[in-house]
Order: sequence, then C-alpha cells, then structure tokens
Amino acid sequence: MILIGVDVGGTFTDLVLTDIGRGITATHKVPTTPDDPSQGILRGVIELCDRQGVARDKVDYIFHGTTIATNAVLEYDGSPTGMITTAGYRDIIHIGRHQRPQNYSIMQEIPWQDRPLVRRRHRKTVSERCVPPTGAVLTPLDEEQVRAAARALKAEGVQSVSICFLFSYLNPAHEERAREIVQEEFPEAFVTTSASVSPQFREFERFTTTAMNAFVGPKVRDYVSNLETRIRSADLKANLRIMGSNGGVATAAMVSERPVLTLLSGPAAGVLGGAWTGALSGRRKLITFDVGGTSADIGIVTDGRFSEATARDTWIAGYPMLVPMIDVHTIGAGGGSIAYVDAGGAFRVGPRSAGARPGPAAYGRGGTEPTVTDANVVLGRLDKDNFLGGGMVLDEVAARRAIAGLAARLGMTELEAAEGILTIVNANMANAIRSRTVQKGIDPREYTLVAFGGAGPLHGAEVAAMLGIPEVIVPPYPGITSAVGLLTTDLRYDAIKTEFQVEGAIDLAKLNADFAAMERAMRAQFAADGLSDSTIRFERAGDLRYVGQGYELRVAFPAGNLDEASLAAIWEAFHRQHEMEYGHRFPEGRIEIVNIRLTGIGSIPKIDKPATPSGTSVEAALVRTGRGVFRVDDELKSLPTAFYRRDALPVGAPITGPAIVLQMDSTTVVPPGATAVLDAAGNLLIRLGGAA
Amino acid sequence: MSMVWPRAATARRIDPVTASVIQGALENIAVEMGYKLMRMSYSSIIRESADFGAAIIDAQGRQLCESVQSTPLQSGPIPGYVRGILAALAARGETLQPGDVIMHNDAYAGASHGPDVAFCVPVFHEDRIVGYSVTTAHHLDIGALTPGSCGIVNAIDAYAEGLQFKAIKVYEAGRRIEPVWQILRANIRAPDLVVGDMEAQIAACRIGAERYLDLIRRYGLETVQAAAEELMDYSERLMREAIARLPDGRYTATGYIDGFLDSDDRAKRELPLVVTLIVDGDEMTVDLTGTAPQVPDRPINMPFEGTVDCAIWLTLRSALLDSAIYGHIPQNSGLTRPIRIVAPKGCLANPIFPAPTIARFCPGNQLADTVMKALAQVVPRQVSAGIGNLKVMAFSGLQGERHWVHMEIFEGSYGGRYGKDGMDAVDTLYANTRNNPIEDIESHLPLRVDRYELRDGTAAPGAWRGGVGSIRSFTMLADGGVSVEGEGHRFRPWGFAGGRDGTTAALIFEPKDGQPVALPSKLPHMPARAGDRFVAIGPGGGGYGDPFTRDPQKVLDDVLDGYITVEQARTDYGVVITPQNEVDMAATAALRSAPRGG
Repeated sequence: MILIGVDVGGTFTDLVLTDIGRGITATHKVPTTPDDPSQGILRGVIELCDRQGVARDKVDYIFHGTTIATNAVLEYDGSPTGMITTAGYRDIIHIGRHQRPQNYSIMQEIPWQDRPLVRRRHRKTVSERCVPPTGAVLTPLDEEQVRAAARALKAEGVQSVSICFLFSYLNPAHEERAREIVQEEFPEAFVTTSASVSPQFREFERFTTTAMNAFVGPKVRDYVSNLETRIRSADLKANLRIMGSNGGVATAAMVSERPVLTLLSGPAAGVLGGAWTGALSGRRKLITFDVGGTSADIGIVTDGRFSEATARDTWIAGYPMLVPMIDVHTIGAGGGSIAYVDAGGAFRVGPRSAGARPGPAAYGRGGTEPTVTDANVVLGRLDKDNFLGGGMVLDEVAARRAIAGLAARLGMTELEAAEGILTIVNANMANAIRSRTVQKGIDPREYTLVAFGGAGPLHGAEVAAMLGIPEVIVPPYPGITSAVGLLTTDLRYDAIKTEFQVEGAIDLAKLNADFAAMERAMRAQFAADGLSDSTIRFERAGDLRYVGQGYELRVAFPAGNLDEASLAAIWEAFHRQHEMEYGHRFPEGRIEIVNIRLTGIGSIPKIDKPATPSGTSVEAALVRTGRGVFRVDDELKSLPTAFYRRDALPVGAPITGPAIVLQMDSTTVVPPGATAVLDAAGNLLIRLGGAA
Repeated sequence: MSMVWPRAATARRIDPVTASVIQGALENIAVEMGYKLMRMSYSSIIRESADFGAAIIDAQGRQLCESVQSTPLQSGPIPGYVRGILAALAARGETLQPGDVIMHNDAYAGASHGPDVAFCVPVFHEDRIVGYSVTTAHHLDIGALTPGSCGIVNAIDAYAEGLQFKAIKVYEAGRRIEPVWQILRANIRAPDLVVGDMEAQIAACRIGAERYLDLIRRYGLETVQAAAEELMDYSERLMREAIARLPDGRYTATGYIDGFLDSDDRAKRELPLVVTLIVDGDEMTVDLTGTAPQVPDRPINMPFEGTVDCAIWLTLRSALLDSAIYGHIPQNSGLTRPIRIVAPKGCLANPIFPAPTIARFCPGNQLADTVMKALAQVVPRQVSAGIGNLKVMAFSGLQGERHWVHMEIFEGSYGGRYGKDGMDAVDTLYANTRNNPIEDIESHLPLRVDRYELRDGTAAPGAWRGGVGSIRSFTMLADGGVSVEGEGHRFRPWGFAGGRDGTTAALIFEPKDGQPVALPSKLPHMPARAGDRFVAIGPGGGGYGDPFTRDPQKVLDDVLDGYITVEQARTDYGVVITPQNEVDMAATAALRSAPRGG
C-alpha cells in the first residue's frame, strides 16, 4: 500500500510518501504554483515517485490538504452568487445578529455588509414558511416564484444559487423542491441548500454558511475536477481524498458538493500530525503547537481525540460558519511577527507580520522592521549558516540593525529588546494556550506540548515553561507535520439534527429513529465511497444545554438504542461537563437536547512508524559551540551553547541546555535547565526544569 | 529546581516587557469571565443580546480590564458600582471578608439603572483587599409594576421600578444568605431564569477573582500593581494625545428626544439635550448645561454615573481613538482621566433621587449621538452623521402560574461616514447587543417573527448615504402583554455636511380584529391577544456629504439593491439611470451641473 500526503502552503508544497509494504517514508518539497496549485502537486508527486522508485500506477491514495476555498474567502474572490429565501426575510445575511464587530469604532467595517457573499439584488424571496416544533407547513411553497427567481438569477449572471428557508432544518422539503426547480431552469448553476449544508437552527449562521458554500463552490469544484484530470493523465490511479476541517478526509465528490467543509483543512491536518507524533512516543495528552511565519495554531488532543469547535465559535474572515471543525485556535504570532512601540509607548509584537516578502530583516530581502526571527538571530538561537539546512544565509547585521532601532526607542540594550520580543510573543502564545486549557477546566501541566512548524521548536520550551508544561516533543520533520497528518486520517463524515427535546419529556422513539436514519444515510454514503461495513464505525453525541441557555456543550452518547438508564448517564455527564467548562453546575436545571450528532469514521490505511534514528554519538552530532543569550535567574546571560545536527543525534543520549538542534526545516531551542533526548520514534523530547 | 521563565517578581520599576505580558494576562481574565457568563446564562437578554459586563477593579476602585464580548454600557459603569458599594458599606459600618459576594443596583450610587444588577467579589491577598471581580447583567425582571424590565415607562419614582439593592451581601464569608435569595425568588417574575443568571454572574466573578489572584501569585502584588498603573497611564496618554490634537475651543450641539409623545404636558415632550465640549490642551470638559430639567415622575432620567458618563466616554473614545484605526486599546480607568463631565443637578442628565431612571437607555444613546454631533465640528472625518436610535420591547404572558418574559432589542442604524456609507441595521453607539435568532424565539416562545428585513427606498441621501433601517415584526401566538421604550419617532437622525436627514422609526400595532394604529415610542404595559401583530420600523441614519457628489456607480448599485428608487436617484442624487439599468453619464452630468432647488 502506497500513500502520498500533499499539503499546499503559501510558499511550498510539502509531500510525504509512505510505502507500507517496504516500510519506507520519504519527504519532498516543491515550490507552490499559486495560479494552479495542481501543477506543483503533480510535479511533486511525480518527482517523489521517481526518487523512491515507485511506479506511479502503484500509488493507492493521494491525501490532499487544500486552501482553495480558504483563499477564495480571505481574498473575497468567489463566484457571483444568488440566494432564494423565504419571503419577508430577504436580508438575514446582511443584518446578521445586528451587532457590530467592534465596540469602540465609528469607521469599522462589517464583513457581511461590506463584503456580502450574496448581493441584495441577487437575493430573491418566495412564498413559503414552515414553523416549529415539527416543521409543519404554514405557507406552501410557491413553485412559480421559485422558477421565476431561478430565471432571474440566471439572467443576472450568477454562477451559484443558495437556497435558504427558515426552519428547513426541521423540514427540508421546500428547499429540496426548490433545488429541483432551480436545476431544471438553470442546470449549469452550482446549487446548494441550507439544510444539506448544516441542518441546525440559527438562521443567520446557517444561511451564511450556505451562501459561503455557494460562493466558493464553483471554484473548488473546478479545482478538484482539474486535479483529478491531471492525476489521471499522469498515469496515476490513486484515489484522491481531501482533508476537511473536521479532521477527516472526504472524497472529491463530497468536497465538490460541500467545499465549505474544507475551510480549515490546513490547520486541521497540523493537529492530526501533532497528535500522531505524540502518540508515537506514547503520550496521551497533547497540545499541538504549530508556528509558522505569521500565525500559531493551537489544538488539544486527549487520548487520541481532538476537541471540536463549538458551532458558535467558528469564524472565517469574519463570517460565522456552522460546520464541524477541529477546535484550532489561531493567533497572529509567528517568526515574521513585527515588534514595535505603539502610539502610547507600549512594547508590542504582532499580529502584523513581515510574511515571506520582505520577510524578517535577517532574510536580507529588504525587510527593516524587527521581527521575532531577528530576535532569535540576535540572541544566537538561529545559526546564520544553518538556516533551512543552509539553504538561506541569515543576515545578522541586518537583524541587529532592526533590533537596535527598537531598543533605542525603548531605552533598552539590543539584547534586552531581543529577549523582550521573545518574552512578549511567547506570553501571547501562552495566553492563547491558556484560553484553550485553563479556561476550559484542562490543566496544561498534565499535557505534552508538540511543537512544530518552522518556528514552533524555537519557542516551544519557553512557552511550555510559562504554562508549567513539563515536556515538549519536537517531531522528526517539524516543517512538514501537516503533510504527515494527512496520512493519519480516516474518512470522516458528520451529520447533525436539531431536536429541542427536554429532560422529563424525551421522545426516546424519535431520538432512536433519528439516529438510525442518520446512520442509514451515512452507511449508504460510505458504501458509495467503496468502504466495506467492517471498516466503518460511528460515534454519537448530543449538543446539550440547560433549558433557557443559549450555548450548548457536546456530550458523547452511547452506541445503540437509548433508554432511560443511558439518558440518566447522559444528564449526569452534561452536569459534569458544565462544571468542568464553566466552574459551576445548576443541579436543579432541566436539560435540553438541542442537536444530536453522528460522526461516521471509515478506516483507511495510514502512515507507518518512522524508522529509528541511527546517529552514533552526541559528540558526532556536535557542529560547534557558540554563545546564546538566555535569561537565567532574572538576568540576561551569554552562555556557551552547543549546536547539534539533529540527523546525527543518537537515540537515548541526553543533551543539556542551553543547546540548539539544527535540521533541514526547523531549529529547536533547548533552554538552560532543560534536557533533550531523542527517542526510538525519532521524536526529540525536551524535559523542562532540569528533571531529566 | 524549577524554572521561572518570565522575569521574577522583584523588579521595582516595571519594564515594558512585563507590562505587556501582564496586560495580556489581565485581558485574558476579563475575556474568560465574559465568555463563561454568556455561556452559562439563561435569559436571552444576557446570552444572546450580550447585555452584560465583566471587569476586574483594583483596590482603589479603578478598572483594570473589561471583557470584550460585553456591551460598553455594562462594563463601563463597573468602577462606579464598586465605589457605590464601598460607600454604602462604609456608611453602614460593614466590612468585607473573604467569601463575601455583594449585590448592587442603586442607580444613585453607581448603577446604570435598576435592572443592571452587579455582583462583586472582593479579592483578598494576604488578608488585604487587592481588587474586586465584578459582573453586571441586565435582568429580565426586577419586580417592577409590570412584567419585564423594559418599557416600565410609567414608573413614577425609583420605588416603582422594582427592587433596590444597596450593597447587599448575598454570601457572607462563603455562606449563602438564604433569606435574601428567598426575597428575590418571591419578588421577581420568571425567578428560575433570573436567579439562574445571578448565580451565573457569581460563578463568573469567582473565576475572575481566582485568576486575578493567580496572576498576583505568579508575578507578585507589586509587579501587578505597577503593571496596572503603567496600563492606565498608557491609556490615559493615548486619550490626552488625542484630545491635544483637537483645536482648543467650545463646541456645542443640541440633540432631541421624543419624550412622551402622547402626553399633554409640554415638560414631558420638549426635552433638549445640550452638549458643550470644552477642549483645553490635553483635557476636555463635557458640559451638559442647558439640558432639559429632569422629568420627576417618568423614568427617562439618566443616572449621571453609570449612564451619562459611559455615553460620553464611549463616543469620545470611538471617534478619537477609533479601534478600526488605532487598533485595540485597553479599556481602563486611565482613558477617562482627561475628561471631566459637568451636569447641573436636577437636569435630565443628573437627576435627584427618587426620580425614576429605569428607561434611560434610549435617551442615553441620544446623548451619545449629541456628543458626536458636537465632535463633528472638530473631527468631521472621524464621526458618522446622526444615528438611528433603538427600541426595546418586553413581550410577556402567563403559562399557568408562571410568567414568560422576552425582551427584544430593535436595532437602529448609523449615519454616513467620511468615505463610507452608514452601517445598516445595527445597534448604535453605546449599545452593541445581538438579536435573537428567529428560529430560537419561535421554538421557545409563543411568538412568531413575521418579517425581518431592510426597508426599501429609504436610505438617507449623501455622498455617503445613511445606514438602512430594518423592519421586524412580531405576532403574539398566545394572549399576553407588551411594553415599549424607544426613541426616534419624532426627530430624524441629522444629516451632515450636505447629507440629508435620515428617517424616523415607527411602531405599528395591527390588532387581529381591527385597524392598524401607530404607537408612540414609549408605551406602558398593554394587553395583547393571540393574533395581534407589532411591526417595528427601524430608523435610518443621516446622510454624509452632498449626494450630488456620490459616485454614480454607487447610486446605481443602491438602485439595483433596492435601497433607493430610480426616481430617488434622479431627484436626490442627480443620477439618471436608463431602463437598461445603466448610468446615463451625459444626462447625469447635465443634471448635476444644472442649478439646484426651486
């Protein structure tokens, strides 16, 4: 079995090939081709196959993480989109929740008003209305109005049509009928309905998600079909699977229909890669810490399960999204983050980033503003001759000049300013982790930080120390952890149904029937994808809240039919969960099942364990001993610092900080008082606090 | 050995790095408090509308941070609440001890108005009070004369507005004071919801207190205090610099509120708000002299502390230190130091106890608008034209012996801005709540939301047009009642720099069997029957700049989007649209250069 993972980033396309039969895992990197990423992908796949002596037609799967949909949203560059919605509610996606994004601003923009996914002229209304609690029809669908709307939208030149009716999550019949009519009148349009994208209540969020699906739909559909064509024309027979935001992969057909499912696929793959890495070293509680040039992505994985974002916390480019997503918390802090003194005289780092162009001053591409990378250079943590495996020589003078300017404004020495930059950016990252752990009743001190991405290993140990996290893992190839993550996924589909059933008056028969129906539909989908029943498993859950509350908490439901006993266990689990998340429970409160959820997981082959490293001795790995600047006992000290080559380090032989570990795609800092040791899985384990 | 990574707690003078780190940590605390309160709470007015506040206050009663999710009118008053609590306790000779929780809503001692009840947890470190963790929230019902806590527009004094809590301990040394809770339960409608929300507030306060204490343990009290001073100085410095950029002088504006449109008493209808900004170097005095006298027996008087001050600070900050331009600036007591507020005792903006205040929300926002109108003379490119004000309605009824109460906040819209059209259908100035999803309301209450969309053909003309108001209508599905407090039925939001005035709001009552009736903007509780409908028509903000200078393409866009008609494009903007929906450039040029008027 041969699998290839392809992660397309802004600059590079990362590839990982694993040949399960031969026990080979190999990596490759090619420049991204932004105008048509499939070119770069094909080049990378072919080169990788050739280098490894793999016949192209022997590749079984290509797993792909794509940012096509994400970029279309961030750049507001989707297709002209229309909407057909319930009469009387034309402007739901424009008014939103009538809240301004910023409290203290007159000149602010409102994303959904300034950059509408569907312009008002393309929002057509038709007579129809369903009502709760059952979705009973109050006003029948006026089919002639739908037909007229479809014709009008076609004449207006839209390429996509979103159909968004109130309460369709209770009764999708009107939306489905409208879809048929639109397809008759306008067969070339990309058509999507709100109940098929996200059958849950909250009309602004559901309609926006649906409009977003339509907005990015034609682009993603065309991209996927183009990529498939290229794959076929290159004699590759591999099945294409695309990474979704939910932490699983989906078929090309599924993604073409619901591209909105891929909006966070990149960060999701990173979480999976980090989780896989940590599990190789036998760690069960992991915080994934993926730091690149502009941002840091943080995920939590406990016993192999990642947490999922709650529907109300999921946003992209300022638009709310009601789709299942791995809970990845992103902040604007990375190697390129710019340090500055603001108008009030305060010392700040980020979120503005120097990006790849001009990049940090040390890149020597004309950047003059001091960045986190420049601070790492000035403090002697980045080696000018061993950055990117020697692929780029860092300009120390430029880095120092950039930091010196900042230091002068702050009345500090250069070293103090550089170290201050790191302290501030590390504190920002630690705060972000705190908001995902301490604030949710999770004690980070029980967790291991998995630090990856180009800059994660530079900061991991110091961020962990701020949080009392005792251990940091740096994976074998920190820079391509997302591509590795692609090879650890399963096929994963989510279904949801809004219930609004209250403790004490639960219709068990209905709940069980609804679960059974969802499971039947999903089995059919898996069968269509070619998976046998034996490789499929299901997980059930519910979104629960106390009656009257507005926010739900996810509680796992047992498999099989629910009965009174399992309900009692579910209620208790909810009380516990509430107390853990918020520090309080309402013992008298009655509980409401708002939504039920089914996740179907179709097992597919995965990446093999990496080979055990073969370095011989620590001495052989030593490149040189330089000087690094660290804060010890509240004093800045320049300390002798050993620089090691990661690929020459042996298993089991500890090195003590301060030390720097160099490798092709990243640099690891082992601070004073910490020790690091390579384990048999190839992970570098950093123990903080000197307790080796 | 253990590693202390950030510098140790002994530094005497705070360095910028530690200041920055502690600032981040403080804000994180307030965010967590707000997040948890919002998620735990029961009433939609808190959880959806976000009509709550959360803040950490230092031992001197100064605000260190506030939660970003909250509405400004809730977090802003918190220091005043704490001052009010401390004064009341001192007057009674009571002291605080660990485990105490204080409840307070005295509009004449810091509270924003009666329904906004604060819970305050004193934070002790080594037997000393080092601060207060406080949340405020707008409660659904506070035991006033009619159901709900809005639209109590016929309360004749503070006693008619509901329960008054003047620094009441609800926990003492960790022990729950059960009788107080019994009084609450017995005197508040929908007690399950309201008491649940109060408990959520206390839980959030306790989390804040714990985190604040953790921060002090981590960095040491002195360092945290030094960082807090630095943080307040920083915010103060930014505000001083912003004021210093304004030319010295006096800038006056007058704003108008509806008052009681159906009253025979002129003193209840003619109620000017007068704002004079006196800029002197890096300080500003905001003088409200000239504002109408208080209305002694109607609750539209505005608490000086808690409403008036917040309305003024909010507007100055939003225009002078606009976060879209200046980025995030920590909200703390430093920001308000350079600003002095003066209002004659006994005026609408500084009433005398027991003048009622419960319906001060809309007048307060009009005051904020009037501050902006005065600012427009100095910083015309940092303001919007006049805003459309809000409206709040309480729908209620009985299910058996239990009340259901729903509070609905109807949005306004912004005026046009320099280079930008007004924001459509949003809360304005000191209000920034969220509406309730229709699919949530109809699933849980005997109400139907019949319609929710923008108004066609009403956008106020301007080079940058006014924001568009909305229409939102409700039908009662069961017998019950309705009460209303709103503004903007009489005066149109002001146009600016050649832009036209906006459009007024309205409220139409369509009884199931009968003719539609226009209701005034303030309506005490009236019974309503199943099938009765209330149509709230939202105001449109004023236009900014001469509409004849508006980009013709934008005018065409507005026609295509239904914000204006082809006829309005011609008469208001001088733009001629062809039957093929294109701009007739030649005809437009001719029309725009012809003499206007007449």
